[in-house]
Amino acid sequence: MSLSKKSPIVIEQLRKRQMFDLITNGKRLDGRSLEDIRDLQIEINIIKKADGSAKVRLGNSEVIAGVKVETGAPFEGLENKGALIVTAEVLPIASPYIEPGPPDEETIELARVVDRGIRESQMIDLDKLVLIPGKIVYVIFVDCSIINADGNLFDATSYAVVAALLSTQLPIFEIHDEKVVDTGKKQEPPIRTIPVSITSIRIGNNIIIDPTAEEEACMESRITITTNSKNEYTAIQKGSTGYFTLEQIKFTAQTARVKAETLRTRLKELIK
Amino acid sequence: MLEIKKRYVIPGDVIIEGNYRPLMNVIKKDNIIIATRIGIAESSKDGIKVIPLSGVYIPRINDIVIGKIIDNSSLSWEVDINACFSAHLPAQDVFGRDFSPAKDDMKKRLAPGDLVTARIITFDRTRDPMLTIQEKDLGKISNGEFLKISSTRVPRLIGKRGSMIQTIEQATQTRILIGQNGILVLTGKNDEGIALAFKAIKLVEEEAHTSNLTQKVKDLLNVSEEVTQTETNNSSVNNEDYVNNSNTDNNSSDMENDHSSNITTESPKEVQPN
Amino acid sequence: MDQTILIDENGKRTDGRSIDDLRDVKITIGVLKNADGSASIEFGKNKIIVAVYGPREVHPKHMALPDRCVLRCRYHMSPFSTDTRKNPAPSRREVEISKVMREALEPAIMLEDYPRAAIDVFVEVLQADGGSRCAGIAAASVALADAGVNMRDLVAACAAGKVNDKIVLDINDIEDKEGSADMPVAYLPNLEQITLLQLDGILTESQFNECVEKAIHGCKMVYEIQRKALIEKYFGNDLPEGEEKELEENKEN
Repeated sequence: MSLSKKSPIVIEQLRKRQMFDLITNGKRLDGRSLEDIRDLQIEINIIKKADGSAKVRLGNSEVIAGVKVETGAPFEGLENKGALIVTAEVLPIASPYIEPGPPDEETIELARVVDRGIRESQMIDLDKLVLIPGKIVYVIFVDCSIINADGNLFDATSYAVVAALLSTQLPIFEIHDEKVVDTGKKQEPPIRTIPVSITSIRIGNNIIIDPTAEEEACMESRITITTNSKNEYTAIQKGSTGYFTLEQIKFTAQTARVKAETLRTRLKELIK
Repeated sequence: MLEIKKRYVIPGDVIIEGNYRPLMNVIKKDNIIIATRIGIAESSKDGIKVIPLSGVYIPRINDIVIGKIIDNSSLSWEVDINACFSAHLPAQDVFGRDFSPAKDDMKKRLAPGDLVTARIITFDRTRDPMLTIQEKDLGKISNGEFLKISSTRVPRLIGKRGSMIQTIEQATQTRILIGQNGILVLTGKNDEGIALAFKAIKLVEEEAHTSNLTQKVKDLLNVSEEVTQTETNNSSVNNEDYVNNSNTDNNSSDMENDHSSNITTESPKEVQPN
Repeated sequence: MDQTILIDENGKRTDGRSIDDLRDVKITIGVLKNADGSASIEFGKNKIIVAVYGPREVHPKHMALPDRCVLRCRYHMSPFSTDTRKNPAPSRREVEISKVMREALEPAIMLEDYPRAAIDVFVEVLQADGGSRCAGIAAASVALADAGVNMRDLVAACAAGKVNDKIVLDINDIEDKEGSADMPVAYLPNLEQITLLQLDGILTESQFNECVEKAIHGCKMVYEIQRKALIEKYFGNDLPEGEEKELEENKEN
């Protein structure tokens, strides 16, 4: 059951006023303009035991994504495709407000939205990852651990997944005598497109991009928009309990497309 | 008089545009009055409101309610008043200032299941309603038949200056205690009268918003003559008891203002069958 | 690109509709006697029932908020509601949908009117056929009005999608599975505010704009059905001639 809760972060009234004043003048507390994305740092291959991995720092939000490739049964209804499973967990180390325990609805939403961003864009060509149709396929797990939470975990996590997948060395499996064998050789993953997610929030009548945790505590509504390399929209999620007008939706969609393009170039550099 | 764009309204409906005062169940946004509940929009010199046709009872200070004792702590009884919050009746209200849990047995005076007529003396956004039964006509209800209706129908059941309820009482020879919270307790001379009163009450509840309800009720009760407003011998009704601070707008519907009505009731006397 | 032919050469979809047709929608109000407000909805083959309890006390007490009410929303599918039996335990999908539904309804409710109380909205999907969250939101909004909860506006909801490269209104289960985009939207029709918007699929910019606008148009169609159901239930056929006319005139405004 979903229930309304207060934000655990109480922002000082003075700081809030400061924030709102700056925003009406097109600026934010950390000096950015309304459309600026924070400093983004990406490191790949940081977990040697994983088939692919990446650590992303978006401002102070930090996420580590690890890719593990196995074989198994395909999803029901998708017998001729490899399987891709994206999970995310906000670790208790990430923030004073996280309690250890089963994932809450915010975390479930985060995981599902990131998963859809990757899946709906068809980033990985899953048709190429079948061993025995209907029986055995490649199963790619991308698990994300959020280790420091400072706003916009949707984008930070999504970039970590994309970077990890782009830099994965996929094992090459073969079937010998009806058994799966790891040949020990590696292959590039079959990448079709690079999805990039851009999250915006509405405070009053202003739209700001890539919010910090402080800004999220004051937001009225939020929208995460993912586009692919062809600048098509592949996944969108409006979140939080406020509204958007149609004009605001169109504006955020337009902005997301444009911003995603610049980020995409950076992510592309990760493919040698 | 003000002209209203709509009479029957649902949430979100625009009632009227202009600089009017929003009173009840409406909001004002950019000089437009919008309904926030299903009901009947009405205007008066004080402003615009919507008389609701549904909704749980929200307690108001000074309302007379009929409540059921559920439990007690060492210092107060917990009372179910059919509202969104439980109410409390302090033990001191009944036993006096020198109440002591050691010597005074709360359960003996009021036990779970007992019904009381009470007045709400405090209620605000920070605490649950508090009751008193230490006034005339308040207290434990020792007999009668229990009935629950939607609290939004209570004003209609009472009627202009008590006309509707008196019509029913006189025609069925019953006494009807009404709580603003929609709880009723009936006593009467005979079972047929009580059954007929129940029917009439149900009719009012179902058709509160319709325009010829009074006639329908009279037809049901086979009442032909006008109900007189004077005291009669066997009815222990006090006419001042049913005064409503209704508006004098003749164009208004039959639905009454439910805001500031003041109902007092007497403890029912034992009514002896003839 | 979807391989299956979902729109034939006459512009007819798998269920005979044209691309701008809404499925048949029927709303019945006050179907549950114990609930403070309730509604059932048949939206195409979706069968959903919603109960609203509240405003009422919050248990446990420490969960109450001092200055407004807590809205609790649960979207749940019965095991027999889908083609393959669904495990009764809440799935991650149901958790997410419960959340987005709550977030779609909250902006309409005047939460500050009910401090320290809770309003519970329980949405039970008895049969699902694509667009169940939109149908659930539409029914929940009506059930909230039935319960007498103060709201700034009703919440209407409808989905649009892309099928065989065309933007269509209100996609059904097959179109959801085989088509190439699904966009559910919830909308406050008088305030013109979007309170739910999700997309799975692939849309170019112009397709995106067309899709959002089509979904909003669908929401307005659903709103007319919601309003009619409420008026019929509460004001019945008792409207004298004059009043009926008045309501008709005002619809055109």
